[in-house]
Amino acid sequence: MFKKIVRIGLLSTLMLAAFASCEEEQQFTNENTDARRIDVAQLPANLAKVRDYVPLYAVAAHRGSIFWTPEETEASWRWAREMGADYLESDMQATKDGIVLANHDENVKRTTNIQSFFSDYVPAEIRKAFYRSFKNADGSQVFSEADIEAQYQRDVNDFRTYYTMSYYYAELLMLDSGEWFNRANDTREQGRSTYAATQLGRINDTNDGLIYSNGLYVSAIQDQIAFAEGKKLKRDANGVRILPYKIKDKYKGMTLKQIYESEKVTVKCDDPSVKYSYAAKYMDFVEYDFANAYVADEEDTGNRPGIYIEFKESWLNPKDMEVRVYNVLAECGWNIITKDPGEQPFYKGGKVNVGNTRGRVILQTFSFDALHRAYDVFKGQVPMCFLLWISDPPYATDIAYDTPTGYADFIRYGQDYGAHIIGPAISGAPNNYPEMNQPWQAYMIRKSGMLNHPYSFDSYAQMSKYMGYYTDYYGQGNTTMFDDVLQVTVPATPYTNFSGTKSVPVYLDGYFTNRSEISLRYMIENGFRCNANLPDPFHPGKKFDNSQAPSVVPDVDQTLNRLGYTK
Amino acid sequence: MKKYILLPVLAFFALAASAQDFDNDPTLKLENKEKEVKFTVGARFMADAALYHSDFTPLQSGASITDARIRTSMTYKNWYFYADFGFGGGKFAQKNIFAQWSDGTNAIKVGYYNDPAGSMARNTSLGSYHFISRPGSSNALGEGRELGISYKYNTERFQAYQGIFTENAYNKLESGFNGLTIAGRYIVRPIVDDNQTLHIGANVRFAHIGGGVTTNNVLKKTLYLGQSLETYVDEDDQFVSCELPWINNVFDAGAELLYHNEKFFLRGEYMYKHTTKKRDSNTLWEASNNNIDTWGSYDWWLAANPIRSDNFHGGYVEAGVMLFGNGYKYNSQEGLLGGLDGKAMEIVARYNYTSLNDINDGEYFAVGRNQYYPGGLMEDWPYASSSVGGGKINSFTLGLNYSFNRYVQVMVDYTYHRLQKDFLPYDKNFHVGQARLQFTF
Repeated sequence: MFKKIVRIGLLSTLMLAAFASCEEEQQFTNENTDARRIDVAQLPANLAKVRDYVPLYAVAAHRGSIFWTPEETEASWRWAREMGADYLESDMQATKDGIVLANHDENVKRTTNIQSFFSDYVPAEIRKAFYRSFKNADGSQVFSEADIEAQYQRDVNDFRTYYTMSYYYAELLMLDSGEWFNRANDTREQGRSTYAATQLGRINDTNDGLIYSNGLYVSAIQDQIAFAEGKKLKRDANGVRILPYKIKDKYKGMTLKQIYESEKVTVKCDDPSVKYSYAAKYMDFVEYDFANAYVADEEDTGNRPGIYIEFKESWLNPKDMEVRVYNVLAECGWNIITKDPGEQPFYKGGKVNVGNTRGRVILQTFSFDALHRAYDVFKGQVPMCFLLWISDPPYATDIAYDTPTGYADFIRYGQDYGAHIIGPAISGAPNNYPEMNQPWQAYMIRKSGMLNHPYSFDSYAQMSKYMGYYTDYYGQGNTTMFDDVLQVTVPATPYTNFSGTKSVPVYLDGYFTNRSEISLRYMIENGFRCNANLPDPFHPGKKFDNSQAPSVVPDVDQTLNRLGYTK
Repeated sequence: MKKYILLPVLAFFALAASAQDFDNDPTLKLENKEKEVKFTVGARFMADAALYHSDFTPLQSGASITDARIRTSMTYKNWYFYADFGFGGGKFAQKNIFAQWSDGTNAIKVGYYNDPAGSMARNTSLGSYHFISRPGSSNALGEGRELGISYKYNTERFQAYQGIFTENAYNKLESGFNGLTIAGRYIVRPIVDDNQTLHIGANVRFAHIGGGVTTNNVLKKTLYLGQSLETYVDEDDQFVSCELPWINNVFDAGAELLYHNEKFFLRGEYMYKHTTKKRDSNTLWEASNNNIDTWGSYDWWLAANPIRSDNFHGGYVEAGVMLFGNGYKYNSQEGLLGGLDGKAMEIVARYNYTSLNDINDGEYFAVGRNQYYPGGLMEDWPYASSSVGGGKINSFTLGLNYSFNRYVQVMVDYTYHRLQKDFLPYDKNFHVGQARLQFTF
């Protein structure tokens, strides 16, 4: 009996060893397989409804354009609008007086002449002249010299060199936001003399006011909206922007010290129960006359793009940033919660009409804090893109593990806090970002019901890679293991470079591009734009119609010349 | 300074000690009765095959030479010298090397050998173990070999075994010194006769971690705890493991119980580990103040970079029934159960649990960042948590061991693991089937 048991034991051991060496299925981690195995949170119906405010295959002009124009300026956004982009993309920072800027960096060192104009210290004479420029009806100063001197010392204490939070908006308007671009591109085709100011800002000797420069400016979010509406900046005969300022009513009669020490709270314009405080250093007592700061752009051809605005580093901006933006959008009539534009087509009469739809504003952020606050303020009722980035060691807002499990975790977290879109980085020159939009990642986003808006596209190769040829650049019609959700059958249009239909996997639902002209042309030629019969992956059986989008992509050079940006 | 005192003491005793082999008796013996010298040579070889099945994260099934070892010993009067060297995994490894003097009741032992308080399981030779692997908790929370000196007082009813050790055998740490450990194991034996033993014990251990790496002029000492899934073919410890930066002192305490008669054994341990932290926060904070995004104040920095003491625990219960063969034997000198001796067959069972989770209540865990957040949601700054999510595992093992003779043994184990680890939400169930062929002589 025991011998029998021993034999069975030995036999079992040998079989186990043999079986173990034959077992191959679980010998390595396979992201493609895992992406299919794990649960991905499904976008709830209320968020899915808001997701549908955003057009499929939306082209977001990244900072307007960083290739052809100085980024996030009047030139970049007018150009993007005229090229036919669906969205004008920007990043939001705050000035010392609480103006929400459309500016990528938290400082203006790279994109203005601030180093030579203000140096790296508080601009003493300009700052004091700015305080002196507030006058009573009899022409006397509102703020006493002693008050100004004391405030200047507080300004020094709160100062961070070149950071937008350290300067009043009027001071930033004295800078030149175009000349740097010509220097950076002096040996390439993009530089244009008309980007640079011919006159820098200065103190007005007669009334201590500040005279702005006459070139391209650091933009406010109101400017970006105006450009999307087909306007341009109002300028005087010298090309200087006209944007007067005054003290806000609530601060009238107060000294600078009293303003500094006053309660700093911003209340949501249509819901007083939502309020956020912000730091004392933000002296938002200045009211700029944005309502009269723009004129109709004679070069406007009728495109009405939306805006795609990013909440940046939460710790560098005031904690009321999200509610501040909410209120600015409401003031500009662009907040769909306070003013519903109703059902409108994304494209109309061969023009972009996204700016007149419920999808006119898309919010975006990498920041967890900003995501939470935006959810508290916007309640998930405005499209929100949760951006993804990875680095080693991971930065505070990075996804640290972009495994299927980690990716699913961020997708769910985004949904929990009102995001409708995931924005992963993509690889490729010249940015060489980490690849976060591999087929399995695009699959997981699609599976969740969220939109996928990767960033940033700079080349035709990237566009073709993520719209059909990821696995093999030359392999049109390749099958992938994610075809069941990513394969799109595109019928030909009069503008496509193919006839009949073409079936390709598509790893995005829209994107950020630095080359709107290439992106739009690619979309049109490959049938993703100007097509009445695109399958809608979020509504099986239904068609997405963008046939009314502009079918011609204007020439870049001619468009810039037409807009007045000549060489 | 401590090492300069300790090392000469160790060197002295290394020249004048003896001890005993706690594995089974070697086969090759050379004895010179005239000079009262006995020399032995032995070897051990273990080959394992394992088959794994997991819910999500794969393990590599296969076969492996898990241990190949040569051992030597020399006995002279009251002196005993022992050394063994491993070649498992294709790599040479320093194993035990020590000298011991003993008069039967008192023993002084010097060299590199198992910490007395390292756990009963870790003190038991794997060659004498009744399972293919020691329990996971002993690997995660117990200790192994250390360089030091110990004194043992052993009678029929009582044993006190304590010593002082360094943390590492080689002082090759990048910074700091190789630590200092004081450890002791204490056993009482209410029942002792030829056929059965009941032993109840406790152990305590204090270790000051001395070595680490220097960054920004700050010494950072890190302790790593972990266990595999009680297997050697794939020793992946990602399922139950944690890294504890800024470690300073480690306190261990344990309790053990062992009973056997000829046909049955039961033994178990409980292990508790408390760690304290120490960090030169001010220097680190000052070093971080090198850019405009710096912290507003030292207090902010401290709030964003919390450290605290940690507590971990684990335990196991093992039982065996001898189907045939020589009865279970107890080694009184070592306070340990012996292995199978001669032709024998037994069935064994074990329950083990290990918890390397020390998580603050109410915290949010982000899988995508492998990080806990004190505020209940992800935050930009400050975001750090003092929680440790190393994993908690419950393991159930059933085994069959057959010894052909005193030299050759075959073991078959099946283990089911149930894991709870926040970072690996899809890894819940593991099935491990493994077999071992073992030669010892």
